[in-house]
Amino acid sequence: MSALGRIAGILSGMAGAAVLTLTAPAMAQSDLKGEITVWSWNVAATALKAVVPDFNKAYPNVKVTVEDLGNQPVYDRGLAGCSAGGINMPDVYSVENHESSVFWARFPDCFLDLKSLDPKEADLLAKFPQFKLTELTVGDKIYAMPWDSGPAVVFYRRDMFEAAGVDPAKIATWDDFIAAGKAVQAKAGPDVKFVSNNTDSISTTWFRILANQAGCAYFDEAGENVTVNQPGCVQALETVKKISDAGLFLNAGWDGSLQAIKANRLAASVYGAWYEGSIRGNAPELSGKWGVFQLPAFAAGGNRAANIGGSSLAIPSSSKNRQAALAFINFALGRPDSQITQLKASGLVPTLPEAIHDPYIQQPQPYWGGQKIWEVVLNTLSQIKPARGTQYFAEADSIADGILVAYMKGNGKSAKETLDEAAEQISAATGLPVAD
Amino acid sequence: MGTATRAGIQAPRTGGASASAQSDARGGWRRRRHALAPYWFLLPYFLVFAVFWCWPIIDSALLSLQNTRVNPWAWNLGINWRRLWVDRAFHAALGNTLIIMAIQVPVMLTLATALAVALNSPLLKLRPIYRFAFFAPVVVSDAAYSVVFRVLFNGQFGAVNHAFTALGLPTIDWLQDPNAMLSTVMVAMTWRWTGYNAIILLAGLQSIPRDLYEAAAIDGATPADRFFRITLPLLKPILVFCLVLSVIGTTQLFTEPWLITDRGGPGGGAETLGTYLYKQGFVSMNFGYAAAIAYTIAGMAAVLAALNLMLTRGKQA
Amino acid sequence: MLRTIESRRRWGTWALTGGLAPLALLWLAPLYLMAVFATLPDYAIFSPDLPLTPGGNLLENWTFLDDTANFGRAMLNSIGIAAVSTVLSLLLTSMAGYAFARFAFVGKQAAFSLLVASLTVPYAVLIVPQYVLVARDLDLSSTWIAVIVPPLCYSIGVLFMRQTFLSLPQELLDAARIDGAREGRIFFSIALPLVRPSLAALAIILFLASWNNYLWPLLVATQPGARTAPVALGSLIGLNVVPWGALMVGATLLTLPMIVVFIFLQRYFVAGITAGAVK
Repeated sequence: MSALGRIAGILSGMAGAAVLTLTAPAMAQSDLKGEITVWSWNVAATALKAVVPDFNKAYPNVKVTVEDLGNQPVYDRGLAGCSAGGINMPDVYSVENHESSVFWARFPDCFLDLKSLDPKEADLLAKFPQFKLTELTVGDKIYAMPWDSGPAVVFYRRDMFEAAGVDPAKIATWDDFIAAGKAVQAKAGPDVKFVSNNTDSISTTWFRILANQAGCAYFDEAGENVTVNQPGCVQALETVKKISDAGLFLNAGWDGSLQAIKANRLAASVYGAWYEGSIRGNAPELSGKWGVFQLPAFAAGGNRAANIGGSSLAIPSSSKNRQAALAFINFALGRPDSQITQLKASGLVPTLPEAIHDPYIQQPQPYWGGQKIWEVVLNTLSQIKPARGTQYFAEADSIADGILVAYMKGNGKSAKETLDEAAEQISAATGLPVAD
Repeated sequence: MGTATRAGIQAPRTGGASASAQSDARGGWRRRRHALAPYWFLLPYFLVFAVFWCWPIIDSALLSLQNTRVNPWAWNLGINWRRLWVDRAFHAALGNTLIIMAIQVPVMLTLATALAVALNSPLLKLRPIYRFAFFAPVVVSDAAYSVVFRVLFNGQFGAVNHAFTALGLPTIDWLQDPNAMLSTVMVAMTWRWTGYNAIILLAGLQSIPRDLYEAAAIDGATPADRFFRITLPLLKPILVFCLVLSVIGTTQLFTEPWLITDRGGPGGGAETLGTYLYKQGFVSMNFGYAAAIAYTIAGMAAVLAALNLMLTRGKQA
Repeated sequence: MLRTIESRRRWGTWALTGGLAPLALLWLAPLYLMAVFATLPDYAIFSPDLPLTPGGNLLENWTFLDDTANFGRAMLNSIGIAAVSTVLSLLLTSMAGYAFARFAFVGKQAAFSLLVASLTVPYAVLIVPQYVLVARDLDLSSTWIAVIVPPLCYSIGVLFMRQTFLSLPQELLDAARIDGAREGRIFFSIALPLVRPSLAALAIILFLASWNNYLWPLLVATQPGARTAPVALGSLIGLNVVPWGALMVGATLLTLPMIVVFIFLQRYFVAGITAGAVK
């Protein structure tokens, strides 16, 4: 980064800090008292617990209990609690972005519009990138604050690439990626696969990453039309098929992929940046052998950013300590250093753009061959295109899954035909029209 | 279960009707107390049922007549029921469920019967150990054994594929190939529930008097004769009981496909009515449509159960 | 000639006992593996070579399990709830089964049809309305009543006990009636003891149902320290990361009380059935 750029960065960081101070709740900090409970799941809960001590320095009279319920139980209990009109709900509720739209649509009164809690809240929320806010916004209400995100990057084995003579810096397009893959596999032998297709319960992960990269999704940004057969999505699907046809995919899910990594049978992985901790934790002995680079573009110079995953924190309407809850989420999510604390604790990727200026982001990471991976990751945040899941996301994903699996196996149809079929079925299931 | 096996489980008109008529004649107060007695016996169960189950059943049935994807929920009598006819995902789930029912239930009950006969045989030693071995799968937690099965059936390095290779057979992608997923689910279900049914059938077998067999042996009947002419007919009521329970259980099947193939598997290869219902109700939160699916399942189960019962009632002497 | 029959019998014994052995081993294999997995670190569970021998991580896995999910306490909760539920449900279902089997009364057919019909409705569609009823309308959320009472309606139990009571000899019950015994006394002192084997079998099934019950206790046993074991185990499952070793320890432990119940009750329901079968 140039000196001018660095100065600009520092200035904007200071301005951001100044804005943050101005947007602090009008109530004096030590006045706030009460007890709040927070629902979350394993690594996310750990991250929040890591922030609590600092929070209590600023708000000594607010007792925070972070409950680790497990991912599915949080969702199920939220569903039941909202159905019962807001019984047995916590003060702060964790929700994954792509699962959040169905909550806002089904139970519009179950969670609070954060902007209504404090006049300055809107300014704080505006600092987050649009792609995080899209799914949390209904009309002019914002139901949750963005927490972490999943900017997609390519994790790769330096030694395997080097042995094949592949320079990741020269991989600019997906075609380059495929060529690199063939070279790496040829050199590494038949036991090694280039990249995992990350197929667990659903096979659409790759498609969603690449579609997002192309600015396409199941639905349009307004959530009113089905757009899965638009050119961007078609291009995404064709690219995935090309990678598959080149024999580069390891057909494995979460555990299988990590197992393959540990056994030196996988050369790379395309996933959200939160995968970093899993790779590192699963195979500490491979330290120094890994690195990251940005997603290859579809055409040279094109978009190299996409998002997969990410969560937010909402405040149920039944909370008896709204201001304390708001103070907590503002503190934990709205401050760069809290986001860095969580990054260090659990590998949750910060979403606040200003977090990029934190010294930790600028640190070389030994596991990753001394690369400043977080800088690479956070640099993509501003280019990620928004996508609205809508309340129909799970269903659309399920329909697409079935159709895509058939296409990938090779049923003779083109990507366009496949996605036209998906669009038609999604339209039938949701009642939304297919966009022209 | 005793000799009730011969009485069958059809119309509830068996048992004490005629005898109680005699005691009724014996006096007004006793008759009234006797007449009220069944209601007292039924009261606790049906009280809990009335308080905690009646309204949820009615409520969810009513939900099937509403559009629950708009705000506020709006009455729309046909929206969910009509969708069942055109929903391809529902048809696929229905198809998978029927396939499982047609294949897994008969296989499992045959195996369970054979097992029960083996466990009942006087020739068998180490009986308690065997009884334990076959019943143990029933008590294992779902989450645990499904992981074990996922490891065993893993396409790349699972033990099952290792065994196949050793036998010279081609490996199968048990958990990801849409055609193989159902088989994996069926194997898991059979492993889990055969012992359960075998124990119930064993109880039935043990109520068949030994002298029947001895008499047949003296008459020169072969073991096969004894099985098909004595055992099977006398076992039929219990077998039908197990059949009906299995059929009803299969219409609702959720656990095995959900946990072993991870939510029905990529491409929905192991999607059953139970998993589809769960997804509609708990994931997409479309309560109305979920209710329509649920009552379709209930209707199917009721029809199939009634069919099974009718098939046996006809043969009752 | 006796020796031929003798040796044929012996051959039959060996053939049957030996022939059943591989099948039994196949049946026990997943359970054995579950126990082995409980002693391994997470990455070893999915390794290409199927681990057949126990590893050394048992203590580590257990510590993680107990620290993260307070599993010890959850086990105690589950045992308590299951024990109480089993006894109460045995009472309710045997009484109802007795009524259906031994009496004729107005509404019998309707009640029976209702019972069978309720069996066909998938539980998944009822749980949210039931929760709303219990939590919002009855205001019973997070109480022991909410956790224990609704699941007591186990309709299979009623069918099973009805089946059992159908076989009781009418003369025995009538003799007691002539003697002036009240119906309740007849039921508890005469009928129930006669069907002890079936009660034992049903107790196993009811205990199992209560023990493995997941969704309902998840929603209503929410007070701190009131969590049941399956729910505690489920809380380990995060978004993608699952601590498999700890999960296996929990699952193996979950199995133990069931095995104890089964072994304890096994002798009742199998040995006793032949003794109790009266023509």
